[in-house]
Amino acid sequence: MSASLTTTQSAAPAASTDEALVTAFRRGEEPAATELVRRHVGALGQFLYSSGADRDEVEDLVQETLFRAFRRLDSWQGHGSFRSWLLSIGSNLLRDQFRRRKGRQVVSLEQHEIADQGDPHADLTASDTEERLRQGIAALPRLQRDVFLLRVQQGADYEKIAVALETTPGAARVHYHHAVKRLKGLVR
Amino acid sequence: MSECHRLSDWMPAVALGSAEWTSEEIEHLRSCYSCQAEWDLVQMSGRLGREAGLQVEAAATSQRLLDRLDRHRLHRQRRRAWSFVGVAAAAAVVAVVWTGRPTTGSIHHPASVVGFQMALPELDSLQPAELDSVLQSMDEPAPADSTLEDLEGFLDSWEG
Repeated sequence: MSASLTTTQSAAPAASTDEALVTAFRRGEEPAATELVRRHVGALGQFLYSSGADRDEVEDLVQETLFRAFRRLDSWQGHGSFRSWLLSIGSNLLRDQFRRRKGRQVVSLEQHEIADQGDPHADLTASDTEERLRQGIAALPRLQRDVFLLRVQQGADYEKIAVALETTPGAARVHYHHAVKRLKGLVR
Repeated sequence: MSECHRLSDWMPAVALGSAEWTSEEIEHLRSCYSCQAEWDLVQMSGRLGREAGLQVEAAATSQRLLDRLDRHRLHRQRRRAWSFVGVAAAAAVVAVVWTGRPTTGSIHHPASVVGFQMALPELDSLQPAELDSVLQSMDEPAPADSTLEDLEGFLDSWEG
């Protein structure tokens, strides 16, 4: 697959692995970066929003995460998945942002009220449940949140999660079950 | 491993469409309240924020990224170049200071200073009033049409 990258730049690289694309970009092939962004930008935006980012700042956070990641591509050794590594950088960025704001402004789940905007009851209930879930996820300890989202949104196994988050597969499993236990009650 | 734990491990994969429940597992899900709650959670969390992710436009994002990386690379190159210039300038200053250091303990005066300290024995015998008169005549501007002979004459009269 990487052979096709070396013969032509424009043939980028839809069928290439992330590792081959990273190698190609290091050689100076910009289409490889475009393909990497195309593959992962949606998952990154979803992850950041689910982690507590405001919807109108998701785009800027995605941009900043990608910039940080591509500036230090050498630190991705190809052991874990590129996407998990990217999302962990996004998580660090979000943490820095929360710190700058001196703590998250998470609405207490007990005090959360449904806004009366005249929407149909069913839609309101669904969107309210989603918002409660989002706030519940954002309020989780960072490792629990990251493990949970990598599992349920990316389908990552515990080994890959452990590599991306620099923990062990056993610890990742424990974090996941703690997160599930805390969040279960929010959706029923 | 209990049936609940086994199902729990499979839930993300089934929710994302890469695996399917067996009929026995479906039966368990119907009868187990805890698994139902977890299954709802996993499904809803898997969908959560998908629209927010889709709103980020890939082509524009990658173009912005490449532009930023180019600017960053240029900035780093400039910084390196200026660092090199700074080091070279510092090295030059050190070299100048080092080579300009006196090799002996004596102090060398510049020639102009030596000339300034030259003695004028003709003035030693003059009274203060006469010295003032000499200084006044030196301060007077020379006429605009004065020639070299005029200047020599003036110096002769000044030297007596």
